[in-house]
Amino acid sequence: MTRELRVVGTSVLRDDAIDKVTGAARYTTDLAFPGMLHAAILTSPHASARIVHVDLEAARAVPGVRAVLAGSDLDVRLGLYLRDKRILARDVVRYQGEPVAAVAADTLDAAREACRRIRVEYDELPAVFDPRDAMAADAPLVHPDLASYDHMRGVFFPKPGTNVAHHQKIRKGDVRASLAAADVRIEASFYNPPVQHVPMETHASIAQALPESRVEIWTSSQSPYTVRHLLSACLGLPHAAIRVHVPYVGGGFGGKAGLGLEPLATVLSRAAGGRPVLVTATREQEFNTTPSRQGLHSTIKIGATRDGRITALEATYVWDAGAYADYGVNVGRAAAYSGAGPYAIDHCSIDSYVVYTNKVYGTAYRGFGHLEVLWGIERAMDQMARKLGLDPAEFRRRNLLKEGATTITGELFTAGHGKPVECLDAVAKAIDWGRPSGAPSAPHKVRGKGIAMLHKAPAMPTYTSCAAVIKLDEDGAADVLVSGVDYGQGTYTVLRQIAAEELGLPIGKVHLTWDCDTALTPYDWQTVASRFSYMGGNAVIEAAADCLRQLTAVAAQALGVAPETIVCQDEVAFPAAEPDRAISYKDLALGYTFPNGNAIGGPIIGHGRFIATGLTHLDPETGQGRPAQFWTYGAHAVEIEVDTETGEIEILHIATAVDAGKVLNPLSCTGQVIGGVVQGLGSTLLEGFQFDDKGRLLNPSFVDYKIPTAKDLPRRMTPIFLENPQSGGPYGARGVAEHPMISVPSAIGNALADALGIDYTVLPLSPERVLLGIQKREKTP
Amino acid sequence: MLGRFDYQRPSTLPEAGRLLAGNDGPAAVLAGGTDLLVDIRGRRHDPRILVDIKRIDALRRLDVDSAGALTIGAAVPLNEIIERAAIRRTLPGLVQAAESIATYQLRNRATAVGNLCNASPAADMAPILLALGADLMAWSPHGERTMPLSSLFVGVKKTCLAADEIATELRILAPEPGLRSGFLKQQRLRGHDLAVSSAAGTYAPSTGVLRLAVGSCAPTPLLLEPIEVGRSSKAVVEEKAVRAVQAAMRPISDTRASADYRRAVLPVLVKRLVADLLAEGGAP
Amino acid sequence: MVNGHMETASVPSGLTLLEFLRDRLYLTGTKEGCGIGECGACTVLLDEKPVTACLVLAVEADGCTVETVEGEAADGQLSVLQRAFVETGAVQCGFCTPGMIMSARGLLRRDPNPSDNEIVEAMAGNLCRCTGYAAILEAVRLAAVAVAAQRAAGPLTGETVGSQPAAETLMGETGTERRRFLRGAESTRKDGRR
Ligand code: FES
Ligand code: FES
Repeated sequence: MTRELRVVGTSVLRDDAIDKVTGAARYTTDLAFPGMLHAAILTSPHASARIVHVDLEAARAVPGVRAVLAGSDLDVRLGLYLRDKRILARDVVRYQGEPVAAVAADTLDAAREACRRIRVEYDELPAVFDPRDAMAADAPLVHPDLASYDHMRGVFFPKPGTNVAHHQKIRKGDVRASLAAADVRIEASFYNPPVQHVPMETHASIAQALPESRVEIWTSSQSPYTVRHLLSACLGLPHAAIRVHVPYVGGGFGGKAGLGLEPLATVLSRAAGGRPVLVTATREQEFNTTPSRQGLHSTIKIGATRDGRITALEATYVWDAGAYADYGVNVGRAAAYSGAGPYAIDHCSIDSYVVYTNKVYGTAYRGFGHLEVLWGIERAMDQMARKLGLDPAEFRRRNLLKEGATTITGELFTAGHGKPVECLDAVAKAIDWGRPSGAPSAPHKVRGKGIAMLHKAPAMPTYTSCAAVIKLDEDGAADVLVSGVDYGQGTYTVLRQIAAEELGLPIGKVHLTWDCDTALTPYDWQTVASRFSYMGGNAVIEAAADCLRQLTAVAAQALGVAPETIVCQDEVAFPAAEPDRAISYKDLALGYTFPNGNAIGGPIIGHGRFIATGLTHLDPETGQGRPAQFWTYGAHAVEIEVDTETGEIEILHIATAVDAGKVLNPLSCTGQVIGGVVQGLGSTLLEGFQFDDKGRLLNPSFVDYKIPTAKDLPRRMTPIFLENPQSGGPYGARGVAEHPMISVPSAIGNALADALGIDYTVLPLSPERVLLGIQKREKTP
Repeated sequence: MLGRFDYQRPSTLPEAGRLLAGNDGPAAVLAGGTDLLVDIRGRRHDPRILVDIKRIDALRRLDVDSAGALTIGAAVPLNEIIERAAIRRTLPGLVQAAESIATYQLRNRATAVGNLCNASPAADMAPILLALGADLMAWSPHGERTMPLSSLFVGVKKTCLAADEIATELRILAPEPGLRSGFLKQQRLRGHDLAVSSAAGTYAPSTGVLRLAVGSCAPTPLLLEPIEVGRSSKAVVEEKAVRAVQAAMRPISDTRASADYRRAVLPVLVKRLVADLLAEGGAP
Repeated sequence: MVNGHMETASVPSGLTLLEFLRDRLYLTGTKEGCGIGECGACTVLLDEKPVTACLVLAVEADGCTVETVEGEAADGQLSVLQRAFVETGAVQCGFCTPGMIMSARGLLRRDPNPSDNEIVEAMAGNLCRCTGYAAILEAVRLAAVAVAAQRAAGPLTGETVGSQPAAETLMGETGTERRRFLRGAESTRKDGRR
């Protein structure tokens, strides 16, 4: 491909930014409808209890209250991959923070007041909080009825009679024998606590119930069509009865995939006689009620030859799904097929268990399980390198996937996959890997360097698809319609660039409608997994080609020439040999009118589509198959300074390389890297849920759940992009939105081991954990 | 809405006193509101009337006299203290403590007196003001009283102020010539955070007296016995200070930190603070 | 006075300034991210000083001037500060942006030429989960420099940003100032194309 690109690959500015810097951008909670009611949610104070009785009378008596609902009023189950959830808890509560009842009232104050007057009688039940305990034979069952739950068959395998919602196996070669035969072996265990996405906009949904069971919804969601599909399944409605709008969304990071507050808003609106109802999660509920990222316990064994070749890897991942696993099962699945890192390993065995506990439940979060498993894998790789006496970068270099190797699910690694080794080399060079750090800034400080690899593929059904529509305006400009959501990542700007590139339009004449609307914008599965630029981009390319075909046909007829001779460029169509006979897009967009008044053609509307191809379900016993449309590889290298007296870590420099295939928009790709790295620092240094011994969340607010601020940036950040083209990607591009966050903890953990000689295995690496680790070492002779 | 309460904005103390003493249910003094309004929102506090003291001129004083004596009115937001050049010059420790609190936005509202009256063991203004020997003035319809700041704190979130009493201002005597002051705080991150532990101190080279106070390591902020530095070496003084702190602290474990970490890190803060204060040519 | 308009209203004592702005005046640009002063999404200027509107009672603002993000663009023209946010990539989901703009506005008003540390201090009370802050800090720096240059050299050419391809007016003029907070992205291009 030698075509010169005009627009793709340049830093086109986001046009939505104009709405956002002026305050004009309207998010769900900024919308208001005549008669709109406000809802409040009553949540469970217990982690596990039987609901003996709910008394709603006093709540109903509060002036302004229009609807009061409890779980006993609603007999439906919700879920994406596994239908295990209720709109409001029914019969039992399974985590502290679970919605038990809800009120819609004229004002939020009235709704809250009414909630406070609801009396719920509970009978506490045994609870289980550690997923490893939950796997014991005599553990209390979080879902005794698991056998009866509907789930995606052939992909997920719940184990009724246990707390295991899914068990994903990967089996390649003979791991037991190769481990036994290995020259060098290591075994290590790691832990990631559950964390929250913390979008600055909390979940919010408005629903208005309409006649004939129809409903119209405005929601802060990543996935309008999935919301529609799941609602249709759980409420037993045809898809057309549900219309879902998505206005501007204030961040999602996976937490707004799947169903959120939409079902609750819907049933409240029905109960309130069709008044629109706004449900907004308070920040506390965002932490305590809406889903989080699952915790993970991992145990990893690696065997290698003395010359540093990995021969075997065995891993057990035990995910803390929390009380519901409707989405978490897919995290456990995806993390398993990525669960050995981007290495060529002949003998591999992975067991990934998604286990119910009585805690706030998990869902997708940027990186989708990969940050978690790679915290273990990439720390273990360093331990192995050390044991072998090899430089950790060199050890990785010897084992990374290269052309001709196969992945642990048996996929052949080709040139079109990108080049992990180049990512490694790029970050190593950026931080002067191999050269000792400069002198620390104080005697009680020490420095260290660390490196870690990352990889991820979109975790999506084998048949995932999406579509795009482009319509031409009266003035020859183009409107692109899609239903993927740009909740900040910048995809819409990239899609505009692609449309402009393909149609030969200036970027200023390509618009993309920000309101997704399932009644008007074409299908898209979900905006997750860094697959929107790739899939949506391909759909837009096809839609643009469709427009050009139509433009060409009308122009050819108008000019009386063969369509093959028509060239479309610079907003005009002309016969290749006769450029002076050009007709402008403007005169073709709605149909061409001859001088005598006769008209031909008609409004030009192009459509394009894309469906994942060649993917297979994984074999239930061996995990072999092709799970991924594409893989994105990358690496981080960091240099840190540790205060050995307080345990604080300062990041001096972090370099991040991602093999993007093609950087479609440098400014927004850089934004994804910086944003992802800083979010990764949160997971590394600060974030983690704390629970008391009754399973109550102790830090559900910004007072005690800290995320990085502007003061917490590394001294230096270096994003690096490689452009080894992706086969099948638009202009060779692959997704990069999640990846910068993955392995940030691993790189820093490795640097910490380099600086202190201590292997930390538990996140976050808070000053406290670091210092107590140092003290412990000093005490043990 | 934060809650259902009446709001009054008196312009004199007697008026405020009358409002506080009124019989319409519990009343609360509203200054910056950055603790009070959060508590009301969280329903930890449910007053019937808020008495906003920000328009009482007498409480808006922030004076530094020619000798350096300082008066901080109860309605003075932290940023005013931070931005006052004379205070930056003479009492850098006070400014450091104020700057460590919350965020720029909140410091435009939050007051030093409010920080103290909230009586959190982690109140960042407390250790430095204790070390400076500040007095707190309180007014009530029955009269005015002056108390050493150390007597304000009687327990976690508890002060000795009566319901109808208003803390009106802090008074800090003119510092000894060349007085050095400093404040160190351990947090979970660099961005805004409550203290995991904090330490403040002053050292007057002219008298050789070192005063230290610590926060977040006992139910109330603690003022330690003054240390006579005399001719002792820095290492000896550091050691003495650390031992004094270790003897006095009674840290607990909470969501911010374990008692073990507090026990480990507070001596480090104290040691560093003492080293700074005693350093030749250290902060004035 | 709110954004230069006199507003008269009688409100319950418990109403916050944030609720008053959003629900009574329909100035929904100001956002709520936490309601307890921790996130800065609700930052507005009260008598020219940045405050978190969720922790100010509407009645407390009686007789004060209030400025919100809606007052930042004069006559439909983005301010230099707003343009700097657009051009540096300081905006992703945009939910933190109004508060960021107001914190930056407060800073530039009290100090048109802030140091890097002052910028960080002024902006650190505003949480952003998307951008990693570097571009935001860069935008504030850039706006300060551009305004200074503007003062020295007369008005900036009124080029609009947005659907125009990378209208790099601010960055062009102050190219050396860009990248103070962020060392630039390096790109290794395999195919020799741009
Ligand atoms: S909403 Fe006001 S600071 Fe978060
Ligand atoms: S841009 Fe999303 S929170 Fe800042």
